Amino acid sequence: MLRPVAFIVLSAATLPAQIGEKQLRQPLGENWYEYNGTYDSRRHSELKQITTANVGSLVPSWIFHIPNASRLQSVPIVANGVMYVTQENEIYALDARTGRQIWDYHRVPAYQRAPNRGVAIWGDKVYFTTTDNYLIALNAVSGNVIWESKFAEYKDGYCSPAAPLIVKGKVIVGVAFGDRGLNGILSALDATTGESLWTFHAIPKPGEPGNETWSGDSWKAAGGDTWLTGSYDPELNLLYWPIGNPSPDFNGDVRKGDNLYSDSVVALDLDTGKMKWYFQFTPHDTMDWDSVEIPMLIDAVYGGKPRKLLAHTDRNGFYYLLDRETGKFLHGSPIVKKLNWASGLTPEGRPIRIPGMEPSLKGTKICPNSSGATNWISPAYNPDTGYIYFVAMEGCGIASKNMESFRPGGFQYRATGDVPAPDEKSRVIVRAIDMRTGELKWEQERAAAHNFGGGLLSTAGGVVFSADFEGQFTAMDAKTGKILLHFNTGQRLNSGPMTYGLNGRQYVGLTAGSDVIGFSLFEKQ
Amino acid sequence: MEVVSQGHELFNKSCTACHGRDGTQGDRAPALGAARRYFRLSEAAIFDAIKNGIPGSAMPASGLSDDEVWRIVAYIRNIRSTASDNDVPGNVQNGMEIYLGKGKCASCHMIRGQGGLLGPDLSSVGAQLSLTQIRDALTKPSPPQEGYVPVQVTTRSGEVIKGVAKNEDAFSIDVLDTNGKLHLFTKAEIQNVVHNPESFMPHDVDKTLTPSEFQDLLAMLSRQARTKVHREQQGENEVGR
Repeated sequence: MLRPVAFIVLSAATLPAQIGEKQLRQPLGENWYEYNGTYDSRRHSELKQITTANVGSLVPSWIFHIPNASRLQSVPIVANGVMYVTQENEIYALDARTGRQIWDYHRVPAYQRAPNRGVAIWGDKVYFTTTDNYLIALNAVSGNVIWESKFAEYKDGYCSPAAPLIVKGKVIVGVAFGDRGLNGILSALDATTGESLWTFHAIPKPGEPGNETWSGDSWKAAGGDTWLTGSYDPELNLLYWPIGNPSPDFNGDVRKGDNLYSDSVVALDLDTGKMKWYFQFTPHDTMDWDSVEIPMLIDAVYGGKPRKLLAHTDRNGFYYLLDRETGKFLHGSPIVKKLNWASGLTPEGRPIRIPGMEPSLKGTKICPNSSGATNWISPAYNPDTGYIYFVAMEGCGIASKNMESFRPGGFQYRATGDVPAPDEKSRVIVRAIDMRTGELKWEQERAAAHNFGGGLLSTAGGVVFSADFEGQFTAMDAKTGKILLHFNTGQRLNSGPMTYGLNGRQYVGLTAGSDVIGFSLFEKQ
Repeated sequence: MEVVSQGHELFNKSCTACHGRDGTQGDRAPALGAARRYFRLSEAAIFDAIKNGIPGSAMPASGLSDDEVWRIVAYIRNIRSTASDNDVPGNVQNGMEIYLGKGKCASCHMIRGQGGLLGPDLSSVGAQLSLTQIRDALTKPSPPQEGYVPVQVTTRSGEVIKGVAKNEDAFSIDVLDTNGKLHLFTKAEIQNVVHNPESFMPHDVDKTLTPSEFQDLLAMLSRQARTKVHREQQGENEVGR
């Protein structure tokens, strides 16, 4: 029989396995440590037990139900055999082989509703952000709260849905909502203490470079939020963070100018938060085309020499390849056929606008619609095929504007929006494009889906996994797009699949509506 | 507190036929101050039930004035109060020293990031438990809570692991060992599991501490109320008409 005294003596003897820089910089294998798997955000795993030949026999190994959940957007993290999955203000730690719950954490009160996209892990702790903008650090094995630290004010209307990114003991957190005229920030907090280390302001203040791209006082309620997780290059020590749309979304008359750094990717020094370069995808956006789509970092020969690249499929309808050391534009090409607002890109990568193609009082038909040619759901890159996989939407909207004015306190500040064009039924399609040229290699429609649904996962087994809004979890051949497996989860899918390995077995993890599912190859019991 | 005592008087005039004297035990209706889970938690929800009754149940509209109903609400809230609602006497700072030192509580329990992992976190214990429940936990034996059941697992290779089971079913068991390491087992990987019916929690704290030390510890624990407990929020929105 165990006696209290015995374990009191033992209790502080050793620490659980620590997650540090070394683990986080490894290629994706047994663990999945971050929202997009690795710092380069390619969502490509080296695991290859599951292949194109056997993926047809993938079956659910376990299902975990999250109470009161509906449209989970969390991407599970797996470390040391434990899966961490979230919904707003809640974390569940599960045995990643069995789906059995180890601990859960609920934070109350919860001041507002917003999705949560997952945890980050560092040392012996897991971290996530709440709808009232606290970063919470919990012991990874027990769920005990170690500290909490507030980084934005919910009373102003801010919330924080994105999974944090942790690099060298700095927890990087961002905010939403850009549709409320709330200016975006990106903050670094100390992973040990929760202390604020630096804050980057996505909208420059008077006297700062870029402020001149906002007419009058429009910079004060300007959006540019940071509601998705960025990427990091350890060699350059640069964070690449994607920035959301300007406010008001649809009426650009009140904010003449390019509206920096809305709809941009910014490269920030990890240590200081100072910007090294930026690239703006949609100057003076009037269609809510956030550029939060994940920046994928790829090292490859381009133009005859090895280069550090940044690949990005944007909501505005174009694919971009940048040099991530300098921000120089290298290549751009359309990712959708329905694209009527720009005739192309200049040699510098700036869209060549077609006059009149913007929201009007009567309504203007604009393609892509405001949902975009793609959106926040994660893309993937497979170095073996050299293809980028992403979820595209072919659709148009009738976009109008009005004179809605800004009200402090977190109220909508969109100045109207768009409705689906009656003659243009939107379609959602998984596409593979060549990383260097943007050339379409294959496509596979998510038939009948009118919403993006969830993201993509690529594996060394030559498989692309896809999570479809209609509930179908599918596996495709990375080379051809041929469907190799489809499984009806019975729920809307709004998150990206991930993969991990335990005890010689490869699993694919997925949040499906209100459930978490662990798939693996069928094995007779 | 005058309001509460007036509410107490009104309660014992109007409500005892079903809910029992002092609301602590009910014969024909729920004991309103017991340890069960209540759906009507907020003042407004309790007021609504007393004022208007609960349709589809035996609970009638009371016919009392708003002022009288509010006094009963105050009384019901009082009998359901958690430790943090009370001004428990004692030296809080000294209580914390005992918690960290002589009482050895921090070996297993954490308060605001400081302490051990094997027992439940006590950062909000004052808002979760009544003073009586806290005193009982320190002085009376009780079965371990789910997630804190002491176990000894022997693996196939003969390794013996002692700790608490975070979960267990017919095919798997996850154990947080006494060193703070998590072990995730399928039942096929282990020889056997021995369950200890008694919690690791000592139940003689009132004897190992002096009376004044024990009181200081109670005072400190009663003031740990970082957040409202999740349990209290559940069902809150299910009430109403």
